[in-house]
Amino acid sequence: MAVAAPQRSALANALRGARLAAEDPKSIWSWLATVDHKRIGVLYGVSSFILFLVGGLEALLIRSQLIVPDGGVLDADQYNRLFTMHGVTMVFMVVMPMSAAFFNLLIPLMIGARDVAFPRLNAFSYWSFLGGAIFINASFFTGDIFSGELGAPDGGWFGYAPLNLPQYTSGHGMDFYALGLQILGLSSLAGGLNFVTTILNMRAPGMTLFRMPVFIWMTLVTSFLIIFAMPVIAVALFELTFDRLFDANFFNPDAGANPLLWQHMFWLFGHPEVYILILPAFGIISEILPVFSRKPLFGYPFVVFSGISIGFMSWGVWVHHMYTTGLGTVANSAFGISTILIAVPTGVKIFNWLGTLWGGSLRLKTPMLFAIGSVAMFTIGGLSGVLHSMVPSDYQQQDSYFVVAHFHYVLFGGSILALMGGIYYWTPKFSGRLLSEKIGQVHFWLMLIGFNLTFFPMHISGLLGMPRRVYTYNEDMGWNLWNMMSSIGAFLIATSVLVFMINFFISIILKKGPLGGNDPWDARTIEWTTTSPPPHYDFAEIPVIHSRDDFWHQKYREDDQGNVLPPVAGAAVDAPTGGHGDAHGEHEGGHGDIHMPSPSYFPLIAALGLPVIAIGLIYDYALIPVGAALLVIGVYGWALEPATEED
Amino acid sequence: MTIRRNWSRLLPMLLLAGLLVLLFSGCETDTPQNTFDAKGKVAADQRDIFYLAMWPALVVMIGVLGAVLLICLRFRERDPNSLPPKQIHGNTKLEVTWTIAPAILLLIIGVPMVSMIYDLGRAPASDAYIIDVVGQRYSWVFEYPEILDEDGFPVFTTGEAHIPAGREVNFRLRSLDVIHSFWVPKLAGKKDVMPCNILPPVQGEEPNPLDKPDCRGGELNELWMIADEPGTFHGQCAEYCGLNHATMYLSVIADSPDDFAAWEYEMRSGGGGGNEPPSNTPEATGSN
Repeated sequence: MAVAAPQRSALANALRGARLAAEDPKSIWSWLATVDHKRIGVLYGVSSFILFLVGGLEALLIRSQLIVPDGGVLDADQYNRLFTMHGVTMVFMVVMPMSAAFFNLLIPLMIGARDVAFPRLNAFSYWSFLGGAIFINASFFTGDIFSGELGAPDGGWFGYAPLNLPQYTSGHGMDFYALGLQILGLSSLAGGLNFVTTILNMRAPGMTLFRMPVFIWMTLVTSFLIIFAMPVIAVALFELTFDRLFDANFFNPDAGANPLLWQHMFWLFGHPEVYILILPAFGIISEILPVFSRKPLFGYPFVVFSGISIGFMSWGVWVHHMYTTGLGTVANSAFGISTILIAVPTGVKIFNWLGTLWGGSLRLKTPMLFAIGSVAMFTIGGLSGVLHSMVPSDYQQQDSYFVVAHFHYVLFGGSILALMGGIYYWTPKFSGRLLSEKIGQVHFWLMLIGFNLTFFPMHISGLLGMPRRVYTYNEDMGWNLWNMMSSIGAFLIATSVLVFMINFFISIILKKGPLGGNDPWDARTIEWTTTSPPPHYDFAEIPVIHSRDDFWHQKYREDDQGNVLPPVAGAAVDAPTGGHGDAHGEHEGGHGDIHMPSPSYFPLIAALGLPVIAIGLIYDYALIPVGAALLVIGVYGWALEPATEED
Repeated sequence: MTIRRNWSRLLPMLLLAGLLVLLFSGCETDTPQNTFDAKGKVAADQRDIFYLAMWPALVVMIGVLGAVLLICLRFRERDPNSLPPKQIHGNTKLEVTWTIAPAILLLIIGVPMVSMIYDLGRAPASDAYIIDVVGQRYSWVFEYPEILDEDGFPVFTTGEAHIPAGREVNFRLRSLDVIHSFWVPKLAGKKDVMPCNILPPVQGEEPNPLDKPDCRGGELNELWMIADEPGTFHGQCAEYCGLNHATMYLSVIADSPDDFAAWEYEMRSGGGGGNEPPSNTPEATGSN
């Protein structure tokens, strides 16, 4: 004991020193150890944007190969690996984490809390996401990359059995796929649990469920979907991992397995996943449209309940990915009808958004343009979805470019455009500065035109019989023009992304953007009451909520008919520092009273263990104990360290 | 200023007009795998039900996009210093209407859909001409259990299937490796070709090649179709199956009754084939 005591205290002192180093908000350590939801949100946002560039680069290579028939840019193997990684990246490493960035940044600020329920679990979610993303992308380098051999997964993002088994794939790509998605799934699961707990338990006084912003509602539904969907894919991925690494036979038809098992599990996860990708966008649209129409959301209860019913119905439509597998007339009819009906709550949302715009006083700023663009493009994607639900005609369209067009209208036109709008809308809150409006408009129009030029022709090439996932096509198929257009459009999209990066660089990094103040958009929800950027503790005083759109009602009064009355003297319409903002003066420097959780390295250490275990499983079992040790040390340190630093 | 405003009004409309022109021009072209250019009952039915859904969808699309444009023009803020407009929180009657109306509309188009699912999903006719399709990375082999060679084995062709025009054909689909999808767009929508290990024949029993075989692992799918006229119809594998998925082509050659009879005769007397039969069929290996 006498020997151990000083050692322990030396360790404790070192840890305390490291934690204190992380308290300095300017040090790099503060980013590695942060548990602040805003910083984690920024990390999510930056990482997912970098991965968006990676996935976009993959798309450009794909489109370069297909710009002319018999293209010579890529060979079949490279093409297959690139389209696999494009799908995996965009779904799991771009749209999901970019949504998670918004969840992190906004949930506490919108519900009037100081952080999420489990700040360190939140950090763990981020680091395991990053670890998983780097892990999967590292698979590229397991091939002989200098001779053009990529090592990435080659079984498609859907990884159908038995093509996902070692006898049909080459290299370790699909091992990286199975284990990497497992890590990303764990990250999402932890995030989902965290967000549900936060939303249900940490709302400010008076913030009843039906006063919550719709974005928070959609986050809640999304998080529940994550909690229930991720375990399904986790089981499938574990079985695949066992098949691949330990010669199990879950999916091996030669041993008597039915490979359809994988498809059922993948799509039972995969269809809720589609709504995991789109519901956050619906939430963002439902925040932006009212603010820039200067009108409340039309039919709040309908929008909320349609979101919830989408969440439930998303569990009953998975077979529409499998109409052609021969499940029979009863299954196809039942799922055909359920798929048709899921268009109803989605349509309700679109009509309610139009109702929000109707009679408004529309300020067509960049966030609004993106939100309206997203509604319009999602409408097209939703309608082509109805066409797919017509089972007999889907026998023709299934796995053709028509499907590619459809889900890009949903996931790019719907999700990415809305997320872009969200970036333009909320960046002033977190940086204090607005993005340039002029460059933003250029960005929007370039992206909208490029997007339609890329994906609308795919409807046609699909109906002309072009299947997906082909690295080459003959020149006499009638697909040349459409593919040429798609490829040109893809480069237009790339240009628009470049314009966005320039805008962000000039306006935010070089600080050329105009200062926005607390409330640059005359917004309605309480995140705009605090300073921009918000203090570490978000709100000096936890706000008390009296109504839906609480901040709006602090600024404006309406009569019984909903007519807005002229402002009372003093509470100026255009004074962005009104409301709770004033409270900050008194509390400046007084945040010693507010106990925020201390930084912690342990989530990072624990998360680091996961990819190490995964590498060990693929290459050398000796690494497994190393990874496991990291995980155990991380979890124990996490459990034992003090939640806040003693002063 | 006016020029700029005009442009910002015109641009989306030009975009929309351009898209529509594209869509309609797509229907007219006569290309090898055009799904609109149906040459048999199944593909024609599938095209017709596509139109049945596409026209209302286009109307809704133009309606919604048009409404978005009109709203943006009509309700654009004129005076940034004006008070906010009337705060309308919703209208229950209106919202119930636009919930119920689409549901009814969708269920109405659901009726012909279900009826067609059952129509096209019926079992192949008992007198349908049977062809066994064997998918294998990355080629197609067609076995003809109705044409036996001198040794009593079905004859086969590679890459090209011959069918009698005007007669229902039952393609029995099985794969020797991963999942493929059998797709001849002008004749019928696709059906997946699932792995299917045919059980070895019971000892001492002579298997009848016309019987539907049993699979161990996977399924044996059937797809029937009719080619109205003689002709050559192109298709290709529609389920990603690995490296050369893109070039896993096939064609179906529909012959007039006379030509088909002549072709059958030629095959029966050993004229066709040329390649090795698929490796692990029961005929070849007797096991697995």
